Amino acid sequence: MLNIKTIDDATINQRVYQLNLGPQHPSTHGVMHLLLTLDGEVVVKIEPIIGYSHRGHEKMAENRIYEQYLPNPARMDYLSGMIFNHGYCMAVEKLCGIEVPRRAEYIRVITSELNRIASHFIGTMDYAMGLGAITPFLWGWDDRENILDLLEMISGSRLTYSYGRFGGVRNDITKEFYDGTRKFIERLRSRFWDYENLINQNVIFIKRSKDVGVITKEDALLYGVTGPTLRGSGVKYDVRKHEPYSVYPEFKFEIPTRKEGDCLARYQVRMAELEQSLNIIEQALDHLPPGPVRAKVPRFVTPPEGDCYVTFESARGAAGFYIVSDGTRVPYRIKVRAPSFSNLFVLTKICPGHFLADIVAIFGSIDVTVPEIDR
Amino acid sequence: MLTAGQKKLLVELRSSLAEAVPEGQISESDYATKGYHLELRLDKGGVRRVAQIMLDKRFMLETVTAADFIDSFELVYLYSTYNQQQVRLLTRIRIPKDVQPFSVSAIFPAAIWLEREVYDFFGIRFQEHPDLKRIINPDDADYFPLLKNFGKTKFTDQIDDILC
Repeated sequence: MLNIKTIDDATINQRVYQLNLGPQHPSTHGVMHLLLTLDGEVVVKIEPIIGYSHRGHEKMAENRIYEQYLPNPARMDYLSGMIFNHGYCMAVEKLCGIEVPRRAEYIRVITSELNRIASHFIGTMDYAMGLGAITPFLWGWDDRENILDLLEMISGSRLTYSYGRFGGVRNDITKEFYDGTRKFIERLRSRFWDYENLINQNVIFIKRSKDVGVITKEDALLYGVTGPTLRGSGVKYDVRKHEPYSVYPEFKFEIPTRKEGDCLARYQVRMAELEQSLNIIEQALDHLPPGPVRAKVPRFVTPPEGDCYVTFESARGAAGFYIVSDGTRVPYRIKVRAPSFSNLFVLTKICPGHFLADIVAIFGSIDVTVPEIDR
Repeated sequence: MLTAGQKKLLVELRSSLAEAVPEGQISESDYATKGYHLELRLDKGGVRRVAQIMLDKRFMLETVTAADFIDSFELVYLYSTYNQQQVRLLTRIRIPKDVQPFSVSAIFPAAIWLEREVYDFFGIRFQEHPDLKRIINPDDADYFPLLKNFGKTKFTDQIDDILC
């Protein structure tokens, strides 16, 4: 029901007023509603209102068997679907005690890292577009297109992959994919300089993101912030390093961090991570072991009674699956830890005191995926 | 395998938890199959005392969730470290359906939204929560979707049989 109020004198004289940013707004990256309380142009209070793209993924899990749930995780965080798919497979494998062949683990790492690059391209270039730079967005889209083509080649889908299977992956990679990935790495490396030139020295970009939306280490801990958003605040924490899963311990890579904790730092961390992901993919391709890509598992898995928690580094932070099994083929409860959910909530702490225009920058720099928050 | 740093932190954590919540049952769990190092079972209260200990030890609140076990709820709190000594604690508390547990949001602000989500999906009301209202479901919803009796059809109990 619409609740329309007529404006009386008292409202006009009131200094503080409310403004709705969204639910349909280009800078909210999806259907997200930010209810802002403003004093002039300065934000006094911000309340993110979520739930517009809630599809009930957690409830869905209770009405289907583990295998039928395979397509769902990629639809939570559609920008890093491969990583979520990988995470869900790991969780069920942990619950059932399934060993994964080494080649499959390598392929999972390659595809996950490719997906991370694609996701970071959206995170960084969409952020630049939010600040008024349209060209980088189109350039990033061009590079990302290559990744989508590569992943389509092996998984058949461009965005919402369900390539992982319990005990491995659906099919082996092809020579075409192998050569294409090599070529892509070469191409992207040669383009880093262009991005550097295009964005990093841009005065408008720097003025709008430097010292804006600073997240301190203390706030990050209290609000459970993870991922590049956390690493921009100088905390060297990456699930791939600190709680290694899959075959990540076998690769050499750095965790890029920045001390400042502002929007620019978060952007720089993501850009630096592109390079690290390329390094991981290159090492994985160099040492790709031969062998099967799928372990022998029953047609339908039946985990024993109990629970388990699996965490993994999605493009947005430490995501996790908490699965409770009652010993049947249907999950009793699946809880997804969505990194964007915690990362978004920190806005309520850091936004007050900033200008309205800065909210667009802060929101973009945190790089949330709305369907992941809503699930 | 646990590193020396992890073992040290685990021993420290166990002793301070035993001091703060003597009624709780602490057990070490197999990380390889469970994904967490320590499990703490609580019968009644103590979630806030645990949260305070975890904050002092520089843990972050990873998630708060619940599961509906028909006659009772199980509340689950996951705490994890940011540093090299990766240790995860899982706190479980079984509560009857009519009990209102205390909120830990005064200690970890992250819990404000996480507990709102639990309320939204299970109808568990947290005491002393600053802003307990719907978060994902519509504000005027009169249902709690993750309760086991919600959305139940005549096929729900037969999924297993239908498929095979």
